[in-house]
Amino acid sequence: MAIDETPEPEKKPEQPRPDRESSPVGRRPMPPESRRVPERPETGDGTEAQEPDSTGQKKDKGADSSTPDAVADDGSTERPKTGRERLVASLWPPRLTRAQLIVALLLFILGLGLAIQVRSTSDSSALRGARQEDLVRILDELDNRSQRLTDEQRRLEGQKTELENSSDQAEEARKQTVEKEQQLGVLAGTVAAQGPGINLTIDDPTHSVEADKLLDTIQELRAAGAEAIQVNDVRVVANTYLSDIRGGVEIDGKRVMQPYRFKVIGKPEDLEPALNIPGGVVQTLEKEQAKVSVTREEKIIVNALREAKRPDYARSSSQ
Amino acid sequence: MIAVLGLIVGVVVGLVVRPVVPTVVEPYLPIAVVAALDAVFGGLRAMLDGIFDDKVFVVSFLSNVVVAALIVFLGDKLGVGAQLSTGVVVVLGIRIFSNAAAIRRHVFRA
Repeated sequence: MAIDETPEPEKKPEQPRPDRESSPVGRRPMPPESRRVPERPETGDGTEAQEPDSTGQKKDKGADSSTPDAVADDGSTERPKTGRERLVASLWPPRLTRAQLIVALLLFILGLGLAIQVRSTSDSSALRGARQEDLVRILDELDNRSQRLTDEQRRLEGQKTELENSSDQAEEARKQTVEKEQQLGVLAGTVAAQGPGINLTIDDPTHSVEADKLLDTIQELRAAGAEAIQVNDVRVVANTYLSDIRGGVEIDGKRVMQPYRFKVIGKPEDLEPALNIPGGVVQTLEKEQAKVSVTREEKIIVNALREAKRPDYARSSSQ
Repeated sequence: MIAVLGLIVGVVVGLVVRPVVPTVVEPYLPIAVVAALDAVFGGLRAMLDGIFDDKVFVVSFLSNVVVAALIVFLGDKLGVGAQLSTGVVVVLGIRIFSNAAAIRRHVFRA
């Protein structure tokens, strides 16, 4: 603002001058300007400060060469060219003069510096132009920050180890639970089981084998270490019961018809002799005109399942 | 015209070639550029006033750059580099503004 206003006082006294009317129409608003410059005492620029002694050397201005030097100096005489015309004239047509070349060289240097500076400030953040004390401060801050971050990292790593341990423990507990569930499931008949064992087939065309004989067989097998037993498609578990019905046997409320096929998982070397001992199950059954066959198998699959029932009254007392 | 071309070529070369500025000169480059800008605006104004002289322009350009760099250098040595460069930039900025105002009156007549 202040810059714009400084010329005003100089401008005012000049306006009423008579030569304004005689000047070309194009420069009407600005005659004070063209005259003002030479008179202005406060122009501090190096270029303008030396105006008085340089006015005679206007080599690069075609427009100025036609103007007497004196005109520019006293400013009272009207000038044929305005600043705008002078600008246009100096721009076109291009003239290859010494002055133009020198100015071009200087402007080239300026452009180069400008571009370098712009580039260096834009490409390498704010640190490039920072002063030493600023850099030291920034470095300090960064040190503190990295210290803080290292602490935090250590803390978090400790936490992570802790969590990993606890999750390991949880995983271990889960594994044990699953294992236990499998074991209990085999006992309770809620999961299928497989392993070595025997196949026992009781062929009883005369229906002379009754529930008590089958129960004896099951008892014998259990005594010999049977771990999972299936009769036809009924799983035999702890609370299995047998009862006689017409033409067969009912196991756990399911009708089971002959031939009774036992699939037993256990140690075959124990199970088979236990059945075959003299006076044992096989002989007893054969006395009833049943045909009994026992075969050892490397792999018996007991796949009859029972639903897991939640006991209504019995509760674990271990807690 | 050739002068304008020189400026353009300079900018293009600076952007394309990416010259490495020696570290010694680096702190003075921005101030030198501002000083040179001041000289250029002064020269442009003198041209519009019809009193342009290439010798004066060259001398003012170089002296502006050298003096500005010198002030910053001195300021750095005295420990007031930041303040002095701010001062230089302010002064040069004011001069650029006043010159730009004069140029504006010439070109736009307002």
